[in-house]
Amino acid sequence: MSVAQRHPTTLVLDGEVTPIRVLLRDLWRSRELLVVLARKEFFVRYRRASFGMMWAVGIPLVQAVVLAVVLHHFVRFKTAGAYPVFVFSGIVGWNFFSSGISAATGSIVDNREISTKIYFPRAVFPAMAVLSGVYGMALTAVLLIAFESAYGTVPGFRTFLLVPAMALAVVLTVAVGLVLGAVQVYFRDVKFVVQAALLGWFYLTPVFYPLHAVGRLWPWLLANPVTGVVELFRAGSVGADPGWLPSLWWSLGWTALLVVAAAFLYRRFDRVFADLL
Amino acid sequence: MNEPAIRVESASKRYVKYDDTPMLVTRLARLRSRTTRSPLWAVREVSFDAAQGEVLGVIGRNGSGKSTLLRMLAGVTAPTEGRVTVRGRVAPLIAVGVGFHQELTGRENVYINGTVLGLSRRQIDQRFDEVVEFAEIAEFIDTPVKFYSSGMFVRLGFAVSVAADPDVLIVDEVLSVGDIGFQMKCVDRMAQIQRSGATIVVVSHNMAAIRNLCQRTVVLHDGEVRHDGDTEQAISLYHRLLAEERDLDERDSHAAVHSSDRDFDLRANIERFDLLGPDGSPTRHLASSDEAVFVVEARFVAPVEGPLFGITVFSGSGVQVYGEATGWWDRKTYRPGDVLRATIRMRMCLASGTYSCSVGLATKEGVPVAPQAPPVILYVAGRNGVNGLTDLGAQFELAVDEGAWPPGRSN
Repeated sequence: MSVAQRHPTTLVLDGEVTPIRVLLRDLWRSRELLVVLARKEFFVRYRRASFGMMWAVGIPLVQAVVLAVVLHHFVRFKTAGAYPVFVFSGIVGWNFFSSGISAATGSIVDNREISTKIYFPRAVFPAMAVLSGVYGMALTAVLLIAFESAYGTVPGFRTFLLVPAMALAVVLTVAVGLVLGAVQVYFRDVKFVVQAALLGWFYLTPVFYPLHAVGRLWPWLLANPVTGVVELFRAGSVGADPGWLPSLWWSLGWTALLVVAAAFLYRRFDRVFADLL
Repeated sequence: MNEPAIRVESASKRYVKYDDTPMLVTRLARLRSRTTRSPLWAVREVSFDAAQGEVLGVIGRNGSGKSTLLRMLAGVTAPTEGRVTVRGRVAPLIAVGVGFHQELTGRENVYINGTVLGLSRRQIDQRFDEVVEFAEIAEFIDTPVKFYSSGMFVRLGFAVSVAADPDVLIVDEVLSVGDIGFQMKCVDRMAQIQRSGATIVVVSHNMAAIRNLCQRTVVLHDGEVRHDGDTEQAISLYHRLLAEERDLDERDSHAAVHSSDRDFDLRANIERFDLLGPDGSPTRHLASSDEAVFVVEARFVAPVEGPLFGITVFSGSGVQVYGEATGWWDRKTYRPGDVLRATIRMRMCLASGTYSCSVGLATKEGVPVAPQAPPVILYVAGRNGVNGLTDLGAQFELAVDEGAWPPGRSN
């Protein structure tokens, strides 16, 4: 039996650029790896914790309760549904996004032990980092439904909107993470820039306030890529803010733009990231 | 089917070396118009082929471009110019245990590592028992690997790597890892992989390993191929290049800090380490009463004054059974080019079992001066009834005083 027939894959490297067609093919072949690594990331994170993966839902819950209690005292926003549920619906999407891009930014550099020795498409690392948060997001989404029912709203047909909400959160976060993960390899301070940016970004996203709370500035909020995600989660629970729909197109537009940017970044650098690690 | 498994066609690799890590904020703030960077050709116009089933050695001093070449063969980095073609699945043995997570069990890590190496879940299922058996960790497979000894860790990593059923195996100094008893198995397994038609690329500073394993050897120097062919010629060229480097170093009077990145100061190479049986022919099987004759040849590439030359014997489980070194009386100073030929005669008073013998060469202060040669594995057929490691040759003299029963009320 010939070896060449056993594993018909042939690696041809002629120059540092990887054609996008080859990138996509290799990514498709790495889909099982992606799922295995994402699962590993998730389970490893909570393996040694006291209540295990209860923390994945516990932290967003505490965050929502704190925000709701504090803000209820100082400012009273007029929101759809009970305020704690309103805040929690915003937290689900925002937390997935912010923890996803933080993890994705460092993912290629932090996995240098693997990435300097074995090749698979480098996009697997940021995607893995983001996808490892999906379990947690799904659990918090279930908790959101429970929370909502506890406040007397009966989950209805609109609850199904949580599924596209999660899907949008995933694609947007992966797109941002792919770009940041690649840039971090070259500029090692990007992760600090990201951390700092997220602090401000949180307040520019309608997580704990409705769109119209910012007065005439509200159309600007629509251009924030995360607004679409947050509003879609809201549409699936307490009901979205009026005039939210354009934010969805902005989110999708940003996602498309970033995916194209990522494609060109990885086309150029996929096979040379290891040189800088 | 005559396509070579590996084809490297005038491949060159340029690295851009930054004097300081580029920072986004600095760049954006235009505090520095541009970072100072200097291009460096790590590999230049390298070409060679490796046929299916061939074992190819790659040698060269540190910084000669070996690692860059390996990275290109593993697909981790691409050549700046030229072309590298590798047919089939590549398993880099440089990656033993890569990505193992301390908190996860052996079983979980096997699945993750196997997937990283390109196996599907079903393929891992099929090979799982084989991996566990090879790694000899059946009872610990569901224990987190943080509780593993370093030996168990390496064994499991190696077992997964070789189970990946590679077409091209890249071996980088692998013979220097793991406990001694396991190395024999690794070498056997590599031979088996080669017989199945896979191509093996061996990179090592260890000339005895290169000589034992490789039919053909490439010498890299300053990123260029200086020799491609006969292994003996390759090794002598390598020694000449090392000696040249030494001379340059001496002139720069930097010799003392040389090669501090290794756990030895490369001044000699053990080129031969063989075991001869009582009839004078190479053997691996001895009876416990036999006299073993070890023949060692070491070639010096730098001066060593009154070196210590020693031999150690380990049991299959890694216990040191014996060790002794010369040196107190050998005050000779060896110069580059000198060859030390040693014959060590030992009576192997051992119990039945597998043993591994290593030789080493060190300065009189005890700093090793030569890379470890692969150990000689030998099988001892001991006397019947002897347990343990050594045969101390007990002479039993038994005498009986007939006593009364029940025991007397003597006190």
